[in-house]
Amino acid sequence: MMAFYLSRLVEIFPFFLKGLWMTTKIAFISLIICTLIGFVLGVIRASNNVWLKRIVGVYVAFARGTPFVVQIFIVFFVFPEWGIQLEAFPAALLAMAIMGSAFVCEIVAGGINSIPKGQWEASASSGLTKIQQLRLVIIPQSMKVIIPPLVGQYVLLIKDTSVVSVIGVTELTRVGWITVVRIPEGLMVFALVGVLYFSISYPLILLSNYLERRMTV
Amino acid sequence: MIEFKGVNKWFGKLHVLAEINLFIPKGEVLVICGPSGSGKSTLIRCINKLEPIQEGEIIVNEMSVHKPSTNLTKLRGEVGFVFQQFHLYPNMTVLQNIMLAPIHVKKIAKADAEKIAREKLERVGLSEKAAAYPIQLSGGQQQRVAIARNLAMSPEIMLFDEPTSALDPEMIGEVLDVMVGLASEGITMCVVTHEMGFAKKVAHRVLFMDEGKIIETGKPGAFFDNPKTDRAADFISKILTH
Ligand SMILES: Nc1ncnc2c1ncn2[C@@H]1O[C@H](COP(=O)(O)OP(=O)(O)OP(=O)(O)O)[C@@H](O)[C@H]1O
Ligand SMILES: [Mg+2]
Repeated sequence: MMAFYLSRLVEIFPFFLKGLWMTTKIAFISLIICTLIGFVLGVIRASNNVWLKRIVGVYVAFARGTPFVVQIFIVFFVFPEWGIQLEAFPAALLAMAIMGSAFVCEIVAGGINSIPKGQWEASASSGLTKIQQLRLVIIPQSMKVIIPPLVGQYVLLIKDTSVVSVIGVTELTRVGWITVVRIPEGLMVFALVGVLYFSISYPLILLSNYLERRMTV
Repeated sequence: MIEFKGVNKWFGKLHVLAEINLFIPKGEVLVICGPSGSGKSTLIRCINKLEPIQEGEIIVNEMSVHKPSTNLTKLRGEVGFVFQQFHLYPNMTVLQNIMLAPIHVKKIAKADAEKIAREKLERVGLSEKAAAYPIQLSGGQQQRVAIARNLAMSPEIMLFDEPTSALDPEMIGEVLDVMVGLASEGITMCVVTHEMGFAKKVAHRVLFMDEGKIIETGKPGAFFDNPKTDRAADFISKILTH
């Protein structure tokens, strides 16, 4: 029986690859969006603008303090009531962007705040504008602090894509669910799912470890 | 030219600058001294708008420093600031530290900026350190690079906040020598320092502050040898016995 299931699994393996591709696509696109939005939010959060800071603070608290699955439900089922009707795929991306950018925001703000005030003052005194101070002096120095946890966050993002299966995006986890109905060998099916996730997150884990080691010396 | 007109500043309840009126003509070398917490750093930090003020006006080369419409980039291009803790950019080489502002503020071409940077580096006697990183330099060398970094912008005014206080005694001289050189060239200088030797040698005027107020000003010789106020006398005796 086992052998039979195994050969069935091999037969439908392309279906798994499709799921893996979808997972990779969601992870990769949302990772880029999260990084861009997260950097902007992080800069605001580390700025002196009291009001903007507070607004971003509330956003971050919400995004970090509620389960991701609830956020997806809100985007997919509640947003349409406010006139924002999205297909499952873009809804998944939006939810990932909201959640991930909040984490990136905190990492970036932490990195910026780790730079001594003197660096701001020296660059300001020399005539650089606020944006130039950030871009040329502060951000390059804070990258050392930002990059290792950022890459770690990417690994979490990859894993969190599994949650978007609840709104019917056929990514890797959902492929597992669908398969297990036809091939009732849960262990075998989800072991394969796990291995495939691992195949994309492990290189990032290695990168994260490497950067951690390199940046702390 | 720097002018303070009825300047008042508070940190919360602390009246850190109290009704400051001061005129510093072009080319003057002014030494500012006074006890810790008297507001010396705050006074010079207001000149290039590192600090806001609540009342009064500061005018630098016809520009009203704290007016929102003032071109801050232009103002700061004309005013250099040397910090007690140097604040070099640790991720850049000495040369890159010096070239940054000329390239991005003055929009000077990279090759020209490098030429200027090397010139200024030679001026502070550190040509051979162009490719070094700040962490590889001694405190005195770092401070000289910080001065070169300011000079690369050709400022008309230089502000120094205790430039030698963070240095080991044997390095104080090399930094003061550079500053003496600048003083002889007609740059307007405001120097917060307790280096009496420097003050006597190059300062045109000494300003003594206490509790946010200007207590006394005078020629360095007269000030240090015959202070007019008890507070100044008391302060001078303390730095002498120190
Ligand atoms: N950012 C700030 N917020 C609140 N209080 C401040 C701030 N900066 C300075 N102060 C206070 O203002 C007073 C004057 O500070 P300032 O640094 O100008 O003194 P100073 O004369 O330079 O002293 P020192 O010789 O120790 O450097 C001090 O009591 C200080 O604690
Ligand atoms: Mg001070």
